[in-house]
Amino acid sequence: MHIPDGFLDPWVAGLFWLGSGAAIGLAVRRARGELGDERTPLLGVVAAGIFAAQMLNWPIPGGTSAHFVGGAFAGILLGPSLGVLAMTAVVTIQALVFGDGGIVALGANLFALAVVDVLAGYVLFRVVRRVYEPAAAFVAGWGAVVLSALAVGVGVGLSSAFAYELGVTVPIMVVGHALLGLIEGAITAAVYGYVADARPDLVLGRFRDEALTPEVGL
Amino acid sequence: MTVRSAPAWVRGAGLCLLALVVLAPAFAWASGAVGYAEPLEHAAAATGAADDAGTTIPGLLPDYSVPGLGPSLGTLVSAVVGTALTLGVAVAAGRLLEE
Repeated sequence: MHIPDGFLDPWVAGLFWLGSGAAIGLAVRRARGELGDERTPLLGVVAAGIFAAQMLNWPIPGGTSAHFVGGAFAGILLGPSLGVLAMTAVVTIQALVFGDGGIVALGANLFALAVVDVLAGYVLFRVVRRVYEPAAAFVAGWGAVVLSALAVGVGVGLSSAFAYELGVTVPIMVVGHALLGLIEGAITAAVYGYVADARPDLVLGRFRDEALTPEVGL
Repeated sequence: MTVRSAPAWVRGAGLCLLALVVLAPAFAWASGAVGYAEPLEHAAAATGAADDAGTTIPGLLPDYSVPGLGPSLGTLVSAVVGTALTLGVAVAAGRLLEE
């Protein structure tokens, strides 16, 4: 759902830059205390893995395709601050090196994919986990991508190129990604389950504010 | 990078990255076969915005392709370059913030 240049009115693009700039700035400040010999390589590997996974477009019969977005997964595994930084690296490189998403629209793409997707995924995971843990990663992946799509739908719907048709853009974005998001949720749950089983100590979103326990299978 | 405490998972993660990169051309071919479209493009088509999409900076490897290379090889090179670059940038940013 990378927004190209030309889709957003300047004031909408500017507001997205403000929002993503503030959130990423906060993430940078908070990340200082979290990074070290264990978390810094993990930050790099998660960011690189999400970049590579986003290149895998899953063909869907009917003339569409979808790829894993990964923000929720980054938030769950790395925590909100490092998750935002990981996705910021991915989305910025996609725009600057591959022309995937605009330059003026980069603030909006960062807001949707590096801020909303990560933070919503992290919050949803922690809330749902208290109710029914096996569903937490799936709901986080699905719900976060739907909220990201809502942010994009509102942004383009407030812009002249889309004739200010919020009533059209929001339903198309939200319903479309509510369906595609099922794949996001499934992949998030599968990869989270694998990592949580193999290396539970690496899953920061699960253990923040808690004592680490060795028996943490799903 | 200093990975004294985590050599095992770094090796496994590297193999996972390699697997994802190698798979990229096959997925690009398959999604091209069904036609790539996503909801934002449907929203643009429904509101007449499709023609407004523009490119400010095409990037060195526009649309994950390499000028002069075929689509599969271009996708593979893009996957290698993008994955390595993302890894490098994220680790470098992390190291800078450690101080």
